[in-house]
Amino acid sequence: MADTALSATGITKYFHDPVTMPVLKNIAIDVAKGEFVSIVGKSGCGKSTLLYVLSTMDRDYEGNLEINGVKATGRSLNDLAQLRNESIGFVFQFHYLLPDFNCLKNVMIPALRLGKFSYKEIENKAYDKLKMFGVEDQALKRADKLSGGQQQRVAIARALINDPAIIMGDEPTGNLDSKNTGIVFDLFQKLTQEFHQTIITVTHDEDFAHRSDRIIEMADGEIKSHGRK
Amino acid sequence: MKVSVNTEIAVTYLSSRKKQTLVAAMGVMFGVSMFIFMQSLMKGTNDYFEKMSFNTTPHIRLYSENKVADTHMMNNYLRDSSIKILDNPKQLIQRQGIINPYGVIDQIKKDPRVAAITPQVTANVIYTSGSVQLNGTVAGVNITQEDKMFDVKGNMVTGNLEDLNHVNNSILIGKGIADKLSLHTGDNITVGTGTGTPIVMRVIGIYSSGVKQVDETKSYTNITEAQNLLGKDRSYVTDIKINLKDYNAAPDVAPELETITGYKAEDWVQANSTLKTAFKIRAMILNSVVGVILLVAGFGIYNILNMTIYEKIKEIAILKAIGFPGASVISIFLQQAIYIGIMGGVIGIFFGFLTSYGFSKVYIGGSSPVGGTLNYIPMSFYMPHYIEAIVFGILTTIAAGYFPARKASRVDPVTIIRG
Repeated sequence: MADTALSATGITKYFHDPVTMPVLKNIAIDVAKGEFVSIVGKSGCGKSTLLYVLSTMDRDYEGNLEINGVKATGRSLNDLAQLRNESIGFVFQFHYLLPDFNCLKNVMIPALRLGKFSYKEIENKAYDKLKMFGVEDQALKRADKLSGGQQQRVAIARALINDPAIIMGDEPTGNLDSKNTGIVFDLFQKLTQEFHQTIITVTHDEDFAHRSDRIIEMADGEIKSHGRK
Repeated sequence: MKVSVNTEIAVTYLSSRKKQTLVAAMGVMFGVSMFIFMQSLMKGTNDYFEKMSFNTTPHIRLYSENKVADTHMMNNYLRDSSIKILDNPKQLIQRQGIINPYGVIDQIKKDPRVAAITPQVTANVIYTSGSVQLNGTVAGVNITQEDKMFDVKGNMVTGNLEDLNHVNNSILIGKGIADKLSLHTGDNITVGTGTGTPIVMRVIGIYSSGVKQVDETKSYTNITEAQNLLGKDRSYVTDIKINLKDYNAAPDVAPELETITGYKAEDWVQANSTLKTAFKIRAMILNSVVGVILLVAGFGIYNILNMTIYEKIKEIAILKAIGFPGASVISIFLQQAIYIGIMGGVIGIFFGFLTSYGFSKVYIGGSSPVGGTLNYIPMSFYMPHYIEAIVFGILTTIAAGYFPARKASRVDPVTIIRG
């Protein structure tokens, strides 16, 4: 299974407040490298919860998670932070940029954290990423001075800066109009096809989901359909 | 130089909230500058009083003291052949004065720790001028040596110190005596002891040591005049005054001299025990005030960082999501605290110096009842105080910053991001 980007088996998770109840029931999921997967389902079906488990941020689950063939379950917080920094990019429903920094810095921060390249190289890379999303002219503005759509595009650029193997999105286009959604979708597609990056998104956008490679349907904490064609 | 991301984020956070940063730094600044000011004032005052006490007291004073009877003589006579028990021992009158004083002086002089040594004849006297009488003491000294040890010249109000050496029956009196008996340089004064005949002496000068008690009682004369006053011979010496190269060594040297000479050796710490106690209490008061100030500054920083963390909780979650481990988050917030500390500390040092310098120029001599030599508020400018101040300042900020920083590092990104 050399071309598996992410593999999860027997993922079960409970919410304990106010009463203990299962949100994820024995979920198994495999995502191949270069695949563009959408997870859909009614709200409350546990799809976001699943995404946070897959992202390694949520460690409170039962089951087994492997990312790029390496076991992620049971590793230390610092190991997981390093793993996320290096191989997972995040796009959230709300952009969550750091408002005190300009857009360019926001994009650069994960790469500075990784410290693989020089400051100058990172700066150039960040510029390229901003250019991909057409917000390079906003680069030196403070993040909180941009419109919502622009901020979201900067946030996506930030997710891509370390060329992560997997990009995860929690409603990444939720705040974008149809034109911008189209731009983002095309880019995601390009990333999977040309650079073999894997994309897993949770979305409500039917149109967006139908254009992706595979739709995983969830209901009541279980996977209804893996959507393999 | 490569600046780490953590540093860059910490600095950006600080500079994007300049006002809060400034307020926090001001807290530290006040703490540090107060620390410096208090310490400078305390050391300045202590130094002044110490110096003043050395104007009148030697580092070690050697004198003959009555002793309690012991078995010493019986031992000489009976040797070890019997057990000696002294029942109800009494004080024995010792010969007043030191036997063979110049021999003792020569012996003590050989000690490399001794800087100066001079004999003195102390006599309790009654000054008489007209119909007014006044009790006091006359110190018969070698005025040249006395001046070297105690800077008598610096205290002179009128007259010439050296006249004591070549004017017959000359006396140098304190300002208090001069005022009470309304004497001026060149006037005559009758000085009498219980034992000798009263002698009419000439006032060749007036001094003011700044210590009222001294100025109202003590006068100087030549050592031979004092011996004459008492009707004693030329080898009669009551005190030997010793100054050491390092006055802090006095409590160690004094017992040694006691053993060697057999006379009572009193060091300046014993002689000024009230002064030393006052130093200690003053240090305690000032240190607790400074401690409270730094504590308040620390709480200020704690508060501001805590607020920052509530404000930035989403950003902390994002930082953790994009791969910043807990240690980096601690580093980001702790660095903010440290920069506040350094900033406040440096300004505080500057400000503390300015305040101390300003106060050292405040004239208080005119209205001081003591008068004398204390004209300006005594301030010391002592480097270690400044280093201590900045170290304490920064330590306070680190302690105050650590807890909010640790809290920030424990933020769970999932709960924050999912809302």
